[in-house]
Amino acid sequence: MKHDFEPKIVAFVCTWCTYAGADLAGTSRMLYPSNVRVVKFPCTGRIDPVFILKAFQKGADGILVSGCHPGDCHYMAGNFHARRRFAVFRKLLEFIGVDLNRLEFSWVSAAEGGKWVEIVTELTEKIRSMGPLTQFTDLNDEEQWSGALSNPELKAVYDQV
Amino acid sequence: MSRIGVFICHCGENISRTVDVEQVAQAARQMVGVTYACDYKYMCSDPGQTLLKKAVAEHRLEGIVVAACSPRMHEKTFRNAAQAAGLNPFLCEMANIREHCSWVHDDRVEATAKATDIVHMLVERVRKNKKLIPITVPVTKRALIIGGGIAGIQAALDIADCGHQVVLVEREPSIGGHMAMLSETFPTLDCSQCIMTPRMVDVVNHPKITLHTYSEIESVDGYIGNFSITIKKKARSVDMAKCTGCGVCMEKCPQKKIPNEFDKNLGFRPAIYVPFPQAVPNTPVIDREHCTKFINGKCGVCQKVCGPGAVDYEQQDELIVEQVGAIVVATGFKLYDITEKPKGSAIKGYGEFGHGKIPDVIDGLTFERLASASGPTGGKIIRPSDGKEPKQVVFVQCVGSRAREKGISYCSKVCCMYTAKHTMLYKHKVHDGQAYVFFMDARTPGKSYDEFWRRAIEEEEAVYIRGMVSRVYQKGDKVVVMGSDIAVGVQVEIEADLVVLATAIQPRDGADTLAQKLGISYDKYNFYSEAHAKLRPVECATAGIYLAGACQGPKDIPDTVSQASAAAAKVMTLFSKDQLEREPIVARVNEKFCVGCLACKKVCAYGAVEEKEIRDRQGNLIRVVAYVNPGVCSGCGTCQATCPSKSVELDGYTDEQVMAMLETL
Amino acid sequence: MKSTGKPEPTVTIDTSGYAVATEEIRSEAKRLLLEKIVDAVVGYQSGRRKGSAVPVIITDPAQAEQLVFSPACVNNLSIYLTKAKKEIRAKGKLAVVAKGCDLRALAGLMGESQFKREEVVIIGVTCAGVHSAGVQPNEPLTSATIAKKCRECSVHIPEGADLIVGKLPLLPDLTPTEKELLEKLDAMTPGERWEYWKEQFTRCIRCLACRQVCPFCYCEQCLCDRGRPQAVDTSPRPSGNMGWHIVRAMHLAGRCSGCAECERVCPMDIPLNLLNRKMAQELKELYQYEAGLTPQEKGPLTSYDEKDDQSFIK
Repeated sequence: MKHDFEPKIVAFVCTWCTYAGADLAGTSRMLYPSNVRVVKFPCTGRIDPVFILKAFQKGADGILVSGCHPGDCHYMAGNFHARRRFAVFRKLLEFIGVDLNRLEFSWVSAAEGGKWVEIVTELTEKIRSMGPLTQFTDLNDEEQWSGALSNPELKAVYDQV
Repeated sequence: MSRIGVFICHCGENISRTVDVEQVAQAARQMVGVTYACDYKYMCSDPGQTLLKKAVAEHRLEGIVVAACSPRMHEKTFRNAAQAAGLNPFLCEMANIREHCSWVHDDRVEATAKATDIVHMLVERVRKNKKLIPITVPVTKRALIIGGGIAGIQAALDIADCGHQVVLVEREPSIGGHMAMLSETFPTLDCSQCIMTPRMVDVVNHPKITLHTYSEIESVDGYIGNFSITIKKKARSVDMAKCTGCGVCMEKCPQKKIPNEFDKNLGFRPAIYVPFPQAVPNTPVIDREHCTKFINGKCGVCQKVCGPGAVDYEQQDELIVEQVGAIVVATGFKLYDITEKPKGSAIKGYGEFGHGKIPDVIDGLTFERLASASGPTGGKIIRPSDGKEPKQVVFVQCVGSRAREKGISYCSKVCCMYTAKHTMLYKHKVHDGQAYVFFMDARTPGKSYDEFWRRAIEEEEAVYIRGMVSRVYQKGDKVVVMGSDIAVGVQVEIEADLVVLATAIQPRDGADTLAQKLGISYDKYNFYSEAHAKLRPVECATAGIYLAGACQGPKDIPDTVSQASAAAAKVMTLFSKDQLEREPIVARVNEKFCVGCLACKKVCAYGAVEEKEIRDRQGNLIRVVAYVNPGVCSGCGTCQATCPSKSVELDGYTDEQVMAMLETL
Repeated sequence: MKSTGKPEPTVTIDTSGYAVATEEIRSEAKRLLLEKIVDAVVGYQSGRRKGSAVPVIITDPAQAEQLVFSPACVNNLSIYLTKAKKEIRAKGKLAVVAKGCDLRALAGLMGESQFKREEVVIIGVTCAGVHSAGVQPNEPLTSATIAKKCRECSVHIPEGADLIVGKLPLLPDLTPTEKELLEKLDAMTPGERWEYWKEQFTRCIRCLACRQVCPFCYCEQCLCDRGRPQAVDTSPRPSGNMGWHIVRAMHLAGRCSGCAECERVCPMDIPLNLLNRKMAQELKELYQYEAGLTPQEKGPLTSYDEKDDQSFIK
């Protein structure tokens, strides 16, 4: 089935659990949408929030960060550190005004090929219905402050600062 | 890097069925930096690899992308091929267009587009790849064993028998640990000392083993293959070289009324003493806290009577340094002291059981000493209060263990079996006595274990009552045990002569301090953590440190010995090569930009990050930066994601490589 | 400075303790220099404009008489102790004058190994508040001229300093304008917030004064200045500005001491401390972390708890 809009999904995954889980989905010949592009890391602990920012700026419509379940980290605690880092980073993005529906986090183990398929499929469908993310890419084209405030309420808040 | 070769594999039809491989190769040829691209039926086959090697030579390729199956499948294969072709293996990457593409998508157009994107990402990545050289670390083939109980002894003997030097450090004046205190062992009821003491003698006689008793670990420096250990040899006050172990000093010591710790304070010992007659080494030590000479200077008998002149009141604690390549931690356990609530602990204690107040309420180890032929009573089971033979003995299991509300939720594993053993030992010595056991449930997995437990009930007539004890109190010369029998649903009250509590097993005091010195992790109870519960059960996450025995979790003797031998095998594997080779996927610090905030050190689970002082030519300290020890780093990259200025970078997964991939989006 | 709530009557804040503080700072600085306990004292002196104050580093006991403390002492002097200011550290052992919020920064810097407690003498000043940006320095401190951060200050007394000078007056209840603004922003939709921040950040001229003044932006090389790879566009255009401010807020999360210097120095009046405050709020909610007056071994983002919230993870 063809859709009007095919989102660009980027998945940042750890090599030991989620990458292996995605491999398992392959060896089990499970089908899922082809929108996802996987970037492999040794551990979710290596995944820098800056990469998420970069992916959004480069036109990703949805992002998935996925690694080992708590306690299963190949490096003991990388996913625990990542959990905190992203718990805070998503709050920051939300505050800046990014719809968190576009940023998904999951634990997918090497045995969870099915879960990988489920998560990627759901995310793709969700983003497909949300449409493209233009917030960041629009900024790329903007040269300077537009000087316009979109509604009076914002103007009021803005004036107060 | 601008001369990249891209090799697209059909994988028979596994890839080419859904991905138009020719089109991908065509697209690859258009990518920046790609000099050569082709597709082939089976890249991993011999002809496929030959094709790759030939292309490297013909087109002077500087980097390779093999678009085929998962790197988890064939990365090694192609990196070896690249190496054979004269390339650094880390300049070869795989684009996973099978598991992540052809096998999971059915639309040929979409799959081909995705495969092209994947190849493009990997091409960009390879352009930023750098040559990496495997890391080699020299290995000092000498092992340190911490703890001279059965675990430490076993590990020491195994490693020494393999021909390597071993340094064994024991905190107490003698090796032997808890096993030397036991009377008989389950499930065979053989005498513990009979099997233990020969091993202790083996240790002291072994030419490859250096024994440091009455010593403690002061500090630990270094890393796998290259540890430097400072050991504090406490002043024994007896010259080990001169002492013949004749024992005259102990006989003549006027201070004889010191409770004997080895006998759980049931008997007495002099101020100059060996913990037990079979002690190894058989050299006495002066207990300076109780010795009259040290208290007020008014004695000195032992020095006068010592023929060889071994007694030395002036002896000082001594620090020695040993270089080792591997460490086995075997510090064992202690019994949960329920006398009172331990200070500053979440553990609540068992005041209601009267332990410490009622003399005839004892713990399992005290019972072992009572039942031991070499114990303070010569193996006669009597009550500590009046020396009478107890006719009714109540054993209570799970005291402290599996009691979440009291602060310990784990099972101590050995109590079910040793309580069954206690009922037997008791019955063998007091034929008309009756043993009662309060238990939650009996856990007897293990060879011949359940049979042993059933024997206690069926042949030795121990009465097992399923239920908990609520209170223990003194009534005349009896100790009343109040509990419930949940099988029948009634309250039970037994007037016992002696109560034995199977108290929980806990790590040794100071287990946490030692862990901090070693840089290994421990759980909330202070048991040491293994690197992986299933696949690396005897290794610590800190490379080069291994675990044996109850310091890692409650264990019985067979399990302890097995784990000790396993740890020894790990040490011997490490010692089988002169150099340790490690994958070069490790973090590196850019000292020019590092400001030494040490966030990397805080997040490193391996203790691989150290502080490094940068000094000028005059030796003045300019600043402190982080340093990642490549011998210890495991390559997770958490440090880099944490570093605000990215002054630490993980080779093989640099920001440049990742960003290059993202640029293709 | 307008409040976001109902207009509040202007209340004057009692700053009589500041004169006491000034005297005590002078005598302590003099003593420390005379007795050679320190080699230099970092404090404030009067500026050229009447009533203004500027940071000063004195090394001569005679100079101690120049030191002052007034509502114009807005600067967070902890920055002079970071590695970004090597020439000052090179003077030897330092004493520093610190308000409660500055002490929080000092504690944070010690936690990040920038210096050791014993290397610095901290002269803590009991502070009722300082001026907001843009206020004429000789104006009295009132609810209209006080800095936003001071309206919801919780560290008037710098506990843990080597010496605490001044005394705390009775403080009026001030509406927490920043908190109210945060609530207002939180109530908006993501799209509206994006518009708000977009407008704010597009104004940014990337002068990086916020970075220059921040005690925690002491990196030798800022990630956002790097070219290979370029994480954030370095030109002052909307895209790069957004990246810079997101990265800045993220890098300060769990470290920021809330001194709001970034916002004070911003020539484009971008409410930068809102971001910092938001992050602090989240860290408190998620991990019960608050920037404190004593150095902590690990920050909230360099530590973890196995039981941390993961309701956002599938």
